[in-house]
Amino acid sequence: MNLSIKNVSHTYDIEVINDLNIDLQNYHSIAMIGVSGSGKSTLLRLLAGLETPTEGTLTVNGRDVSLSDHRRSIGMVFQTHSLFPHLTLKENITLVLEKTRGIAQEKASAIADENLDRLSLADQGHKLPQNVSGGQAQRASIARALSIDPEIIFLDEPTASLDPILTDEVLSGIEKLKTSGKDFIFVSHVLSFVRDFADYVIYMDKGKIVEHGTPDILDAPKSSSLKNFMSKVR
Amino acid sequence: MRNKTLNYSAAIGLFAVFIIFVALNQATPFQIGRLESYGGLIIGGFFRTILVSFIALVGSMITGFILFLMAKSKNGFFRAFNDVFTEIIYGTPLLVAIIMMAFVVGPAFNTYNRPVLGVIGLIVYITPYMANIFRSAFKSIPEEQYLAMDIFGFTNVQRYIYIIIPQVIRILMPPLMNNFSLIIKGSALLNVLAYRELFYSVSIMQSRTFGYAEGYITMWILYIVITIPLSQFTRYFERRWSLQ
Repeated sequence: MNLSIKNVSHTYDIEVINDLNIDLQNYHSIAMIGVSGSGKSTLLRLLAGLETPTEGTLTVNGRDVSLSDHRRSIGMVFQTHSLFPHLTLKENITLVLEKTRGIAQEKASAIADENLDRLSLADQGHKLPQNVSGGQAQRASIARALSIDPEIIFLDEPTASLDPILTDEVLSGIEKLKTSGKDFIFVSHVLSFVRDFADYVIYMDKGKIVEHGTPDILDAPKSSSLKNFMSKVR
Repeated sequence: MRNKTLNYSAAIGLFAVFIIFVALNQATPFQIGRLESYGGLIIGGFFRTILVSFIALVGSMITGFILFLMAKSKNGFFRAFNDVFTEIIYGTPLLVAIIMMAFVVGPAFNTYNRPVLGVIGLIVYITPYMANIFRSAFKSIPEEQYLAMDIFGFTNVQRYIYIIIPQVIRILMPPLMNNFSLIIKGSALLNVLAYRELFYSVSIMQSRTFGYAEGYITMWILYIVITIPLSQFTRYFERRWSLQ
């Protein structure tokens, strides 16, 4: 994917980002890391088109992110699973496919089965979100994001609300998607996952991009801020 | 399971024994037969209680929804109106609300139909409680679900039909049933307006037969016959349908 951020400033909640600029070509999995409030989640939301920046422009694969074409080309996974609780895991997928993509019932059902299977949920599709574990629900929400066949999947700290065991379960589910041909932009605090899964890392602090590069920057941080971050996070 | 049944039977039995004890220890002998020729009157009152309560339920759902929209409105006056109205109602006893409506507010508008005014009083009184349950029902859909709807590109109509309303109804049902129960109990106060609901019907019977204890116990049991199944149904509904 190609990604270009020009002179972007924005405030969301307590996060403020300030005059960001970056231009990336041909990466498949871009990680954004940093402490809470560093601006990484805001940047993710801006790139997903969920927020409009007060200043500047963002383009992904040559498209301005404010266009509805961009929205329709992405899948999104949030900190909590965001499944519709009155629908089974499978219905969560088929509803989206039938109503927003105009896909016929049978085909939608087949796509749902395929994607649930990809996330090892083949036998859970008939259950309501409240009757599966947090990890399974989050994996179902990843399956739902995949099922619309997006170009890029955005993951906003997908394991933030899970315990370590469920975190592993969800992250290994995501790692299996490396060969799926999809691109990813994600925020995560799990550095081992960032190392394995990302081919580019953006480190943010206080609303600025402090360091960026291949995951090697994690092993040889140049700035004192990233050094400090690495010493505190596993 | 068997233990549970036993415990509940014992608890219910204890209350039954208490009622029988109280009934048999009246100054005048307890003769349920006194009610006999007033059965029709009391049953009529019973159904009128259900009818007015149902009207008040539907009415207050409508006014409550309007008040909820006002509270959510961008218009500052509407929000202020909601705050002031809610505070006033919270501070008012239901009996006072009904009497004010029937004897003070109604006449000011040249209306003297007391039963109708009484029901309006009941509706006005329940309105902020209804607005509250609408508020909490809509609030219980987390922001991330709305974001997900955005990202997937659901239209506004689709959002309501397939996602919001099916959830809100399930969340709304239990507190709505609780409010219905509140209304049924509150409707007993309409007797002060000489409206022939259950309470007033029983009073008529009592004044003619002097069967006070018989009347009150019957009335009490009849209220419970409506409200307890309602609360049991609500619990069943919560167990069966609630979404976490």
